Amino acid sequence: MICPDTPPLLAQSLADLRSARTTIRLGGQFTKDRIGGRLVGEGTPVSTRNLSRILRYRPNDLTISVESGVRWSDLQQELGRNGQMIPLDPPWSGGCTVGGVVAANQSGPRRRLFGTARDCVIGMTFATLEGKLVQAGGMVVKNVAGLDFGKLMIGSWGTLAALAIVNFKVFPIARGTRTFLFESASLAAAIECRDGVLKSVLQPLSVDLLNPEASAALGWNGFALAVQAAGAPPVLDRYQAALAGFRVIDCAVWDRIREFTPDFLARHPDGVVVSKSSTLTGVADAVRELPGPVVSRAGSGVSYGHATHDVAPNMEKPGGFEIMERIKRMMDPDALLNPGRLHGLL
Amino acid sequence: MIPEAALAETARILGPRGFLHSAHDLSLYEYDGSVDKHRPELVCFPRSTQDVVELVKLAARHGLPIVGRGAGTGLSGGAIPLAGGMMISFSRMNRILEIDLPNERAVVEPGVVNLDITLAVAAEGYFYAPDPSSQRACTIGGNVAENAGGPHTLAYGVTTNHVLGLEAVLLDGSVIEIGGKAPEVPGYDLTGLLTGSEGTMALVTKIIVRLMRRPEAVKTLLAIYDTADDAAETVAEITARAIIPVAVEMMDGMLLRLIEDSVHAGYPRDAGAVLLIELEGLTEAVEEQVEQIQQVCGLCRARELRVAKTPEERELLWKGRKNAFGAVGRATPHLYTQDGVVPRAEVPSTLRFIEKVAAEYRVQISNIFHAGDGNLHPIIMFDMREPGAMDRVRAAGEKILEHCIEVGGSITGEHGVGMEKKELMDKLFSPDSLDLIRRFKQLFDPECRLNPGKVLPTGRGCLEIRQRPDDLRY
Ligand SMILES: Cc1cc2nc3c(=O)[nH]c(=O)nc-3n(C[C@H](O)[C@H](O)[C@H](O)COP(=O)(O)OP(=O)(O)OC[C@H]3O[C@@H](n4cnc5c(N)ncnc54)[C@H](O)[C@@H]3O)c2cc1C
Repeated sequence: MICPDTPPLLAQSLADLRSARTTIRLGGQFTKDRIGGRLVGEGTPVSTRNLSRILRYRPNDLTISVESGVRWSDLQQELGRNGQMIPLDPPWSGGCTVGGVVAANQSGPRRRLFGTARDCVIGMTFATLEGKLVQAGGMVVKNVAGLDFGKLMIGSWGTLAALAIVNFKVFPIARGTRTFLFESASLAAAIECRDGVLKSVLQPLSVDLLNPEASAALGWNGFALAVQAAGAPPVLDRYQAALAGFRVIDCAVWDRIREFTPDFLARHPDGVVVSKSSTLTGVADAVRELPGPVVSRAGSGVSYGHATHDVAPNMEKPGGFEIMERIKRMMDPDALLNPGRLHGLL
Repeated sequence: MIPEAALAETARILGPRGFLHSAHDLSLYEYDGSVDKHRPELVCFPRSTQDVVELVKLAARHGLPIVGRGAGTGLSGGAIPLAGGMMISFSRMNRILEIDLPNERAVVEPGVVNLDITLAVAAEGYFYAPDPSSQRACTIGGNVAENAGGPHTLAYGVTTNHVLGLEAVLLDGSVIEIGGKAPEVPGYDLTGLLTGSEGTMALVTKIIVRLMRRPEAVKTLLAIYDTADDAAETVAEITARAIIPVAVEMMDGMLLRLIEDSVHAGYPRDAGAVLLIELEGLTEAVEEQVEQIQQVCGLCRARELRVAKTPEERELLWKGRKNAFGAVGRATPHLYTQDGVVPRAEVPSTLRFIEKVAAEYRVQISNIFHAGDGNLHPIIMFDMREPGAMDRVRAAGEKILEHCIEVGGSITGEHGVGMEKKELMDKLFSPDSLDLIRRFKQLFDPECRLNPGKVLPTGRGCLEIRQRPDDLRY
């Protein structure tokens, strides 16, 4: 395994492998090998794990710049010392790296309020197969100079370039949170309850919907709608008053919801996760149709089903596919980077 | 010169009233909100995506450059047709195609005026978050091109955070539909790539935007200071205390006086600076934050704190801010607005730096900042007719932007690089980074006909590349 410990060395390694026409298996800690499509062939592993420095962190600027191999948990710990955080909640939080979270566009329950990596990455540096380091964005929260390559890299699953440095905007940790649970035998009732929350003036962090199989795993009954709110006590009391029909539960449950997929995959060696992105009104169908236990970010429109055996992902060609292919060819003409990832789409 | 045949074809596509080409008419389209100008040779007003496709094909046949135009409020020369040719104005593609509240989305044509989206959904309690100060005039197409921001982007994010999908016409006349109403689509995020590409890669013909639920409570405060330093310190202290206002705007003393001369917003004439702070959310959350802000302002020597008690009072506090540019415009023959960004903690030192630059280059500068996110708008006031003035103004502007780069910031937070700041790009980005921008531009626009001469510095843009075909291998 090649583990470069500086961004220029990462770029050099990629260039060397490219000259040798070697397929590259790019990753950080490789926690997500079982999602996002399997690598085709062997490939020389290149890991960013030794790119592990925090480069610049000034809490008063509300920004941080880190190398891509920094562990997500270490990053959160560092921020936590200053009462700050990045609210992405990626699965595999304990082991995964910053670069992996961003390249695989991982997000979690608090997506309803805070969005995804798209919304909190403010800049990055990535290494290309030509051995070059390219910067996009910077260290300020508002910046429109140059093309937003960051957006292209987020969710590219290491098929275009290798992330070397990622800059984030950071957020203050809320003073308190409270979690509310609504259980119902009927999906329609749970969806109606969700609609009530979304149409209200409440601004919850998280609005997750679990089907009975998933909710049973957490000790609940039927379809479960879990809502998380943040703020000072009077704010949380207001939520409690507004969310009639809900009961208050321990906030620790969000760690288990966040890690639902990793836990499932650990228990099922042949298991796979099937995700579906839909509109909010499409969530009901997604929850109905996805296999096994389903956890849905019902306030955003991304749902995750879990099957014990492999199911072929439904990869319809997205709009603009031809342009995507041309971008892929420009960045990686010999298709050396992570072939098969992104479900073999590109 | 546009060939006669091309004019005849244009008339066939758009009808006789669908385009302009007389010298007099064209002169109205030679400028935008910036200080530069250049005349187009033909201005077209398509009504549909199909019209745009036909125009793009026509331009290809005749080798014409194309520049898209929204409302022409851009401040970096984005809509100025540097190479002449065909201008495509989206003013007649201004329909809101769909409002889908259950899914928190709207689908609009590019010529829709920013504020009109919010007006269309306000009765149902929703709004479109990005709110450039020009929102009564500027278009969503222009916003997407520039990745526009506004006072409230501090909390809600900029245009790219609220655009989920696009329909766009490419230079070969093909139409792509990227992204969508659902939050994730497989493959690469082309929507994110095109947003902020300053009209240099594709012509956007449809936009899917996010709508947000309007918060329950809004409180607007005006904090008045004797010195700008105290105001800047307040901003730092607000951050340190984990308060997240939705907007923190700062205006300096000179600007306050100009605003009062013009719109009578009730701002104090003798202050050194004011902060306009807005909080939104649940009533309980807002009340608590107002208390905290009151404490911070006291601590940072605010001499007065006004809290708007009625919607009318709130309107009045914002009135000055929203009309700031107009107010300055009344006081000076010409003005030149900068858009640098600095890390938040550098705001106070940057203010002092700007003061020094003003003295050194003998120009008057008044300041309006999106202080919460470090986005500065120093407004340089001058008279172009005065010999040498323009040169001094440009030099002063450049000096300020170099300072922004030096302290780890950027040359543009929301207005775009355009033609105005392109020569500074190689101070901000490495040659390899600029080269990749150029190659992406080329991938979308191999003949470099869409909005040429923007974003990349002279010598690194695509015009030169035409002379080096060996570089065209991708
Ligand atoms: C008083 C004033 C205040 C302002 N305040 C702000 C502010 O707070 N925040 C902010 O971000 N900006 C602000 N601006 C700048 C400006 O309003 C924005 O940049 C706005 O997004 C431009 O929109 P427009 O419709 O006027 O676009 P134009 O100026 O017409 O064009 C801008 C760019 O968009 C391209 N373009 C337009 N339509 C399309 C399309 N359909 N497809 C492809 N390319 C297209 C053009 O080619 C050009 O490159 C302000 C300007 C003024 C005059």
